[in-house]
Amino acid sequence: MKKWVYIVFFLSLSAWSKTIVVGQNKEIQSIRQALKLAQDHDTIKVLQGCYREGNIKIDKAITLWGKNFPVIDGQNKYEVISITASGVVVKGFKIINSGYATLDDPCGIRVYNCSSVSIINNTLDNNFFGIYLQNCSRCIIKNNRIKAYGKQEQLIGNGIHCWKCNQLQIVGNQIAGHRDGIYFEFVTESVIWRNLSNHNIRYGLHFMFSNDDAYITNIFKGNGAGVAVMFTRNVRMFNNYFEENWGDSAYGLLLKEISDSFIYNNTFKQNTSGIYMEGTSRIQVKKNVFESNGWGMKIQASCMENNITQNNFLGNTFDISTNGSLVLNTFDQNYWDKYEGYDLDKNGLGDVPYHPLSLFAVLTENNPSAMLLFRSFMITLLDKSEKILPSITPDNFVDHQPLMKSLPL
Amino acid sequence: MKKVFLTLLTGMLWACNSYEPQPIQLNIDSCDYCKMTIANSQFSAELITQKGRCYKFDDLACMIQFAQSNTVVPYRAFYVNDYLKANHLMAVEKAYLLKGGSISSPMRGNFAAFADEAHQKKMAQQLHAQLMNWSVAYKSYQ
Repeated sequence: MKKWVYIVFFLSLSAWSKTIVVGQNKEIQSIRQALKLAQDHDTIKVLQGCYREGNIKIDKAITLWGKNFPVIDGQNKYEVISITASGVVVKGFKIINSGYATLDDPCGIRVYNCSSVSIINNTLDNNFFGIYLQNCSRCIIKNNRIKAYGKQEQLIGNGIHCWKCNQLQIVGNQIAGHRDGIYFEFVTESVIWRNLSNHNIRYGLHFMFSNDDAYITNIFKGNGAGVAVMFTRNVRMFNNYFEENWGDSAYGLLLKEISDSFIYNNTFKQNTSGIYMEGTSRIQVKKNVFESNGWGMKIQASCMENNITQNNFLGNTFDISTNGSLVLNTFDQNYWDKYEGYDLDKNGLGDVPYHPLSLFAVLTENNPSAMLLFRSFMITLLDKSEKILPSITPDNFVDHQPLMKSLPL
Repeated sequence: MKKVFLTLLTGMLWACNSYEPQPIQLNIDSCDYCKMTIANSQFSAELITQKGRCYKFDDLACMIQFAQSNTVVPYRAFYVNDYLKANHLMAVEKAYLLKGGSISSPMRGNFAAFADEAHQKKMAQQLHAQLMNWSVAYKSYQ
């Protein structure tokens, strides 16, 4: 009996919603025409080909399904797909050449004021903005490849731009060549997972005023200025890679005015500065690796109650630097490869406290051109004497229990 | 020879003495207040100190807050970019400003500046923004 109920149920479903096939050799040859015929919950299956139809507006809850990546071309004039209905699915398209305009921001795919929209498995190439969500909730953006060819000195939009949204899932996308790979503004309760955001002009990921979000296991590599998390609270940053962000104002991770957040198990490798903190408070920085950076962490004097513990600092030119004498953060039980102390009681913790702030880091912070003298004999001598008798560096800037061995991270 | 040298020297000194705003290098320069890289010249601003040092900003709000946070260094001039022209700085006192509506600037100051009143009025309707001038804008952050 139960089986029959299921069968009848599925039959009735298939009877209600129909599939419209669009193709160059089919009866219906344009997506626009198919959209006119379609009703809610229908599927439009688009066969391989190139479709140049200006702006395609989806205002019904349909599934737009591309077979073998049909191309939708915006001809550098139009916003390619605009979605204004909840429950739309766009799957398997190649969306190219959106318009270029500085005033109304044309996009590859733009979603306006709706919920439960899924954008899956698409290739977006050479669009001004890639995917733009505006005032949306519970949307999924998954496995898209988003590429643009922005140059320096030129205005270009973001790869995935979310504004005033909540409960989004951004999973498994690859983004390159846009202004910011992923941009969040007023976005809450969302997760960013397993994305690759490389070689974007400005930031790989950019948070503004977005509380209660998490980004986990992403790779941010070679972006113009790294990743920025600003003016937010309660953000979780786990298992990410921040790599190869070189430049005067480039940071692996730029934190400004953020509080109550967690930075766990990330890798910061080959950045000018691994983490730059300004005006941040109550952040837990734990079990991260800082490797081969110019500066491991730059902590401005405006930061307080941050807890930096159980991290590995390996092969950085400077492990820590700061611009003031006030220290309101704790730095206990980290591994510093520059530590030269001993451990007589063999408990794994050094018996001599370690001062991670070198004299020269303080000098160059106040006077950048002093960098010329780096690794000169006098500076090494001064650094050593400063280690023994701190006079210029704040003496409470100290790891009381430095680890003798690096953590297996 | 001496003449050439002198003219060159005066020329060079003259160049040093100019208080013209420096052009903003998009995606290279960063804002001196919020540290963000400047990626959109529409909203950018610049201030020059009495000694001729340039500070660049990605948003007029950043410039105002930066200017107000400092009481030691005297300023010579404030500049703001024309909303309708890429990388075109003009004196902020002479600019016609708009605020709010659908203007969205990088740091949510949401100011747009125009070179003449006609454009300001026209764009005010288009963007549903309210008219503004520099002194009111400056005071709104005090």
